[in-house]
Amino acid sequence: MTDQALVVFDGVAKRFGNFVAVEKLNLEIRKGEFLAIMGSSGCGKTTTLRMLAGLEAPSEGEIRLDGKRINDLPTWNRDTPMVWQSLALFPFLTVRENVEFSLRMRGADKAARRRRVDKWLERMQITEFADRNVAHLSGGQRQRVALARSLVTEPQILLLDEPLSALDAHLKVRMQSVLSNLQRELGITFVYVTHSQSEAFSMADRVVIMSRGRIEQIGNPQEIYRAPRTKFVAEFLGSSNIFAGEVSNVSEAAVKISTPAGEFDVVPNAAKPLSKGNKATFVVSDDRLHLSNRPPEDRLNRLQASVVGEEFVGATAVIHLEGAERIEIKVQKSHDELEQLNLEPGAQVWVSWRPDATHILPGE
Amino acid sequence: MRKSITFYGLTFSLPMLVWQALFFLAPLLFLIALSFWSVRNFRMEPDFNPDNWTRMLGRAVFWQAYLRTFLLSASAAVITSILAFPCAYAIAFKLSETARRWAIFLMVIPFFTSYLVRVYSWQIFLSDNGIFNALFAQVGIGPFGMLNSSFGVMIGYLTLSFPLVVLLQLFSLVFVDKTLIEAAHNLHCGRLRTVFEVIVPSAKVGLVIAALFCFILTFGDFVSPLYLGGGDPPTLSILITDTTKSGQQWPRAAVIALTMIATLLAVAFAAVSFAYRERGR
Amino acid sequence: MNSFNSNRLIDWALKLYVLLSFGFIFAPIAASFVFSFNVDRFPSLPLGGFSMIWYEAVWADPLIWEGLRNTLIAGVVVSALATAIGFGAAYTDFRYKFFGKSVYMALALLPPTIPVVILGLAMLAFLSNISLSGAIYSVIIAHVVMCAPFAMAICRLRLSQMDPSLEAAAWNLGASEWMAMRHVIIPFCKPAIFAALFITMAVSFDEFAVAWFVSGLNETLPVKVLGFLQGQVSPRINVIGTFVFIASMTLVVLAQILLMRRSGTPATTSAAAPADIGVVTP
Repeated sequence: MTDQALVVFDGVAKRFGNFVAVEKLNLEIRKGEFLAIMGSSGCGKTTTLRMLAGLEAPSEGEIRLDGKRINDLPTWNRDTPMVWQSLALFPFLTVRENVEFSLRMRGADKAARRRRVDKWLERMQITEFADRNVAHLSGGQRQRVALARSLVTEPQILLLDEPLSALDAHLKVRMQSVLSNLQRELGITFVYVTHSQSEAFSMADRVVIMSRGRIEQIGNPQEIYRAPRTKFVAEFLGSSNIFAGEVSNVSEAAVKISTPAGEFDVVPNAAKPLSKGNKATFVVSDDRLHLSNRPPEDRLNRLQASVVGEEFVGATAVIHLEGAERIEIKVQKSHDELEQLNLEPGAQVWVSWRPDATHILPGE
Repeated sequence: MRKSITFYGLTFSLPMLVWQALFFLAPLLFLIALSFWSVRNFRMEPDFNPDNWTRMLGRAVFWQAYLRTFLLSASAAVITSILAFPCAYAIAFKLSETARRWAIFLMVIPFFTSYLVRVYSWQIFLSDNGIFNALFAQVGIGPFGMLNSSFGVMIGYLTLSFPLVVLLQLFSLVFVDKTLIEAAHNLHCGRLRTVFEVIVPSAKVGLVIAALFCFILTFGDFVSPLYLGGGDPPTLSILITDTTKSGQQWPRAAVIALTMIATLLAVAFAAVSFAYRERGR
Repeated sequence: MNSFNSNRLIDWALKLYVLLSFGFIFAPIAASFVFSFNVDRFPSLPLGGFSMIWYEAVWADPLIWEGLRNTLIAGVVVSALATAIGFGAAYTDFRYKFFGKSVYMALALLPPTIPVVILGLAMLAFLSNISLSGAIYSVIIAHVVMCAPFAMAICRLRLSQMDPSLEAAAWNLGASEWMAMRHVIIPFCKPAIFAALFITMAVSFDEFAVAWFVSGLNETLPVKVLGFLQGQVSPRINVIGTFVFIASMTLVVLAQILLMRRSGTPATTSAAAPADIGVVTP
């Protein structure tokens, strides 16, 4: 049941004039899953969502909902309610009237409307605000109204377009758990578009990473974090150092890759068989690099680099370094560890890491 | 930046204050005083005499004119708003950026053409042997008496206020949040229904203000009711011009003018509070 | 909105409606132009022969020349005064905060909302009480009251496009308030000032009601037209209308060009319209 596809994007593309927003997209969204579509702005994630909602017509390909082609179904005849980034609450209606809206549009009778609305006001804990003007509510309350308004018809799918981006950090985390709980309780599909890695990774069952109208990787959060497929994903996740070079030697235990910054031992990746002379790119997470003023042990990968500066990130700091050929390297360390070292800008330090801390990108 | 009053600052702020106080505010206040003056032997004398008020407000002719003016302007506000809305809607939502700018430019042109000339032109169209009746005769109907009727007045009022109403409506429609329209569609609200359920409520302030301006403009206009409506029965503005231009009964004209201002203030207040009324607490 | 959720038939019907609306607006203007060349005194269809006789009649009429002279004198003086006053008020609003500013602004913006008959009567009564009525300067006084708000609106719009720290930067570099005005504010507002000059002149050229009340024997051209309208049918109105239309449009187009050259938008009024309508953002 859970693995059944609810929505299928079959070769769907969207062009605005000469601009290609989405390129030949193939994607299955399963029944009851929490799917996050992530990417930077302009990557096509919102367009994908809007095509599903019927707010944008695909230039080619087919979108199927529950096995039926919905390309030509106007948005007001689809059951794909959406929560907007701006929430798009009707300012001229009260909370109750907002929640009631789609029931009224479907011609539900008054008693049934009242029952349903009361239920959802209750469920979202906004009963006491029922007769308020939506403009006079707090951010969190407005979120709840928007959710109630979309869910009042009890659809099989809910689309969310960066609904939390306007909230402060604390409220954001609270609404994240509201959303995850809601999704689990209702058992319906959530499609959640965001540019925030933390939102996507903390809530979603599966994450789709998009770039320039194309899917870069689909997988569960751990998979993506541990084994990014492409350089883009590794860069997007932001915490990796990327080395590109050429395979100089292959043995059973390790692949030797020669890069402008030096020659390094890397753990082979089953998804990317390599032989001598192949181009290869591997990444090392910034928290798995070590820094020292003295040369490290021989069995470690190492290189010498000069300190560029330090970036303060709460409990830890990120040291930015520059290796040979101006290769940028960043290392994340606790403040305690850093105090032991001489990290004046310009100072030469050793950077080292274990071969098993590396990951070869299969998509490069 | 907030310093005490300087010669420099006053150079720029005072002229407006002085001019409008002297030649705008003072005349309007003088109108109040004038309404209590008395006229003896065709000469006005300063006085404190409520006679003008009791006489004017006691006349059936005055109240007939009042009712007629009010009804004409109220109908003009409603009719113009209804006729202007599809036009403003189309310009706001259905035209390309360039076409919209041209449409706005064309809508502004009438403000700089003589209203009198346009009214005269309408006489040519509407008169018994005018253009419209000549066209009607071609298809074998008519002639219709369109000049010197309420229909003629309405044509004149439309000439006066239609472009302004379209522009005011347009500017409120342009600022309607597009995501609200999408949200309505997304919540099963069809195209036409969205216009009434979402677009009109969203643009309410602008739509009401547009209707209010139409009311104000037509309420004070004497040209259309006179030259397209025949002037009989008269409207309040025709009464003012007649009373002022034929002799020295200015105090009575002042009474009419002040009644009109009171009416306009009441209507404006009602319209604005209706426009800004909010749903819910 | 996107093309997906719109119906072609409805869209065409709406566009046709816009065209019909413009037809209604421009029919009287066009007819006036056409009939100014019509030989018949009583205009009807089909058209009579082409003729310039009404132009000749207007040309030969000394009363019309006198009206034109009054209109021009009033228009030029009004535009200069109204623009100066309006600019001052716009600058005051831009720069200063003071007690009673809302009253000040109301006074600056209210005149166009008062019906012209009432304004005309009030002006006539007041000006004749202080012996200022019945002359060309009476018209000027009244028209400045009516035009200054427009000048103020145009200048204020321009000032709102100016970075408020520009003026402070000029002071900081050693300019006095007067020098900053002369070298920063006025150059910045120049297109708006010229636009205001033209627009207020155009408004004054067309205004007939208040001018009719206060002008006495020094009638302006629109007041003469009002007189013709009261008399019998006269195609001379069409001739004058055509002239006034061309004159006013020249002024408006000049104002447009000035405003457009600096701000890059074709209409003063469209500055309020955001640019993102009809564009779908991916």
